[in-house]
Amino acid sequence: MRILRFVVRRLLQLIPVLLGVVVLTFLIVRVLPGDPVRSILGQNASEADAEAARARFGLDQPLWRQFLDYLGGLVTGDFGTSIQSGGSVGAEMALRIGPTLELVVIAVSIALVVATLLGVWSARRANSVGDHGVRLFALVGNSIPEFWLGLVLVLVGYSMLGWFPAPSGRVDPDTNLTPLTGAGLVDAALTGNGPALASAAAYLALPVLTLVVGVMAPLLRSVRASALEVLNSEAYTAAAAHGLPQRTLLYGYLLRSTLLRLPALAALVFGTAIGSTVLVEYVFSWQGFGQWALRGLLYRDYPVVQASVVVIALCYVLVFLIADVVHAILDPRVRI
Amino acid sequence: MARSPGVGPSSPAISRRGVLQLGGSFALLLATGACAANSGSDSDDSTSGGPTASTLRIAVSSYLSSWDQDFVGFDLTALMMFKNVFPYMIDYGVTTAGDSQILDTQNITPTFAESFEPDAEQKVWTLKLRRGVTFASGNEMTAADVKWSKDRAFAAQANVAGIYRTIGLTEPDQVKVVDDHTVEFHQAFPSALTRQIQAISLYVFDSVEAKKHATADDPWAKEWFAKNAPTGGYYNVARATQGQEIELTANTGYPGPDAPRTPTIRISVVPAASNQRLQLQAGDIDIALGVSQRDIEDLRSTDGVKVISAASNRQVAIQMSVTSAPFDNVDVRKALAYAVPYEQIINNVYGGDARAAKSPVPLDMPGYDESGYPFTHDVDRARAALTAAGRASVESELVFEADNEEQQRIAVQVQSEAAKAGINLKLTPLDPATLGERRTRKNIPLQLTSGQLWVNDVEYMLATSFVEGANLNYSNYTNAEIEQIYEQSHTTVDESARNALWQRVQQILAADVPWVVICQPNFNLPVREAVAGWVQPMDGLARLRYLSRSA
Repeated sequence: MRILRFVVRRLLQLIPVLLGVVVLTFLIVRVLPGDPVRSILGQNASEADAEAARARFGLDQPLWRQFLDYLGGLVTGDFGTSIQSGGSVGAEMALRIGPTLELVVIAVSIALVVATLLGVWSARRANSVGDHGVRLFALVGNSIPEFWLGLVLVLVGYSMLGWFPAPSGRVDPDTNLTPLTGAGLVDAALTGNGPALASAAAYLALPVLTLVVGVMAPLLRSVRASALEVLNSEAYTAAAAHGLPQRTLLYGYLLRSTLLRLPALAALVFGTAIGSTVLVEYVFSWQGFGQWALRGLLYRDYPVVQASVVVIALCYVLVFLIADVVHAILDPRVRI
Repeated sequence: MARSPGVGPSSPAISRRGVLQLGGSFALLLATGACAANSGSDSDDSTSGGPTASTLRIAVSSYLSSWDQDFVGFDLTALMMFKNVFPYMIDYGVTTAGDSQILDTQNITPTFAESFEPDAEQKVWTLKLRRGVTFASGNEMTAADVKWSKDRAFAAQANVAGIYRTIGLTEPDQVKVVDDHTVEFHQAFPSALTRQIQAISLYVFDSVEAKKHATADDPWAKEWFAKNAPTGGYYNVARATQGQEIELTANTGYPGPDAPRTPTIRISVVPAASNQRLQLQAGDIDIALGVSQRDIEDLRSTDGVKVISAASNRQVAIQMSVTSAPFDNVDVRKALAYAVPYEQIINNVYGGDARAAKSPVPLDMPGYDESGYPFTHDVDRARAALTAAGRASVESELVFEADNEEQQRIAVQVQSEAAKAGINLKLTPLDPATLGERRTRKNIPLQLTSGQLWVNDVEYMLATSFVEGANLNYSNYTNAEIEQIYEQSHTTVDESARNALWQRVQQILAADVPWVVICQPNFNLPVREAVAGWVQPMDGLARLRYLSRSA
């Protein structure tokens, strides 16, 4: 009940935060140099054609009127019409979010599990060869740009070894997967399409691996540092001196205390992973949310930029809310 | 409801195990997928070793932003697709230029139409449709479809409406239905451009189908057409996997000449140029439409791959603002025209695979005349021109497209040579929207441009680039005589008379120097060796119906 009250309170706090994001995004995107209408007109377009296009998208209205229309649309779930495509922004976004969330959620999940196991393992063997190896991996992972790693993985995994499919999509079209959420694995599972499930997993492997390396490196260093702190703490030393069994020391003392930091870290890396997808999606032709938002920004497609920023803000706030709740569950000292 | 055992805070051990099981399951899934991919790859290998001639695979850099040609943004992938899936009533023929085949802009023939001919005054053009031609819905293509499509284009006030102005079509009432298979276009004046303009504008929607999806708020069914492919062209869209692949099947009901040679074409989206190269090398695609110049050079020596090279009308130029200092002085403009290292750029940026240009009129365009064009790379003459302008040195920014490697390399070389003549340039890369806005405001003193005209005619070139208010006239250039020649050209249909006008145009432009024309790079396309039939499009939009692949 306490947690439920906390969640409700935080969800209510979301409203002014998102309103602030909406206002700022609306203003900032219009302050940026660039005319979205000119990019959709042909070689022979006149100023009258440009005016007609502006009227079509409501850009001829005063700013306050545009904002009220936008706000009114948001309340009814209408994100507006894309200037570039002429299609509904909500419908376009629905197609794009699923693939990106699939990529990010899987990558972050794998990174969390592996970083926890490897970080604790490494801390317990501090200064051993294995520990140095883990630290080196974390250092390298932190240093490698994701798009470069992605290209190398394509070169090795697809071109040289031939183990993975060509980087041109999310699932083999010949599997005739019916898109429901846009997330290939989920759609394949929901529709019971076995070949599509295998194909989607194969297409996911390299982009997920790319993201995992980038996301896991900072997590690994943090988990290891946290575990070392616990191992060197008086509480742990006292428990070990009292001869508690190794299993109790590991699960009851070390792992639980180490995991306390993880929710906040996971929320942070989730945000990083969303940012990283822009380039990863480009390399693997993923056609997800990141590429869509980037194109919107480049061409000043106002409705697309506004919608994508609001959704990213929403994701951030929700992920941090979840992190806080998980933290409270893990740590009885936390009062919420 | 029964509670599942081991779920909840009272059973943390199970929960952790569950996490591990989940991770293990996913790893297994990935491994399975990888194996599946591997087996798929094997099967693809057999495909690339001996693919059937029934399917051709093409890689493009992006997915199209919309299926609605009237309301789409300037999206080259979309425009290329439209050329192949919309029924165009007339289209260019094919001719030979050297070793390559190119679209013949002087020979426009009926395709879905039976005929398209003018009256004696060349003001009223009559389009006669073939009978029995149908869209994929089964609806017959009639005059009502043409009328609805043109009304829609005028209502859109976008691409087609803009281009129709050049031939005196400005109102829907000028398009009249005569009978079920005859439509008349009543132009305000006769024009030598009519066939060429209609070749790129006379596409038709299935209006019967469209009206089913029209609403009071959306009378032109924009919402529906944005998401649903048109039908009835050389190809129909058999399947479109959003963001990933479009599968085209040849329209067996196409009634005109040059029917599609390949029954199925699969167009996959591969944004990264390096990945297109890898897939072409592996034989997973047959044609790569987005490979970089450097990769193309490497691919020339790759087994199983050939590079088709064709003369192109794409022109690379520097436009100088004639209304802002220092380029409002014609001698400063001449100084830059002498300072540009033309041959060096052709060799260093294009590996010699470009043609030097000697006129703002593109090479191969009817009326091209390089006599009297004085500008070659000559730093001494550049300095002399600057001195004639009364300046020892000038400063300016040189704007180019961000993320355009070709333009960046040109800009660096121009900057280096121009500095020797006393023209100091600051390089300014701009993103598309900022570039677009600054172009609209006409506040760019110097900018690199690259492009090809959709109509291979000087009148069209003037309309788009050199008359007052023209959309591509970033120089803000105006000349009273050019304006007069442009007006005169509307009603001048005799070829020799037009060529005389174009000769004068080139003399004026050589004297006023609003542009420094750098070169015309050749078009290079890497394809698998078995691919044949590439026809170089003079509008940059590939016609897929000529392509084939031997078994």
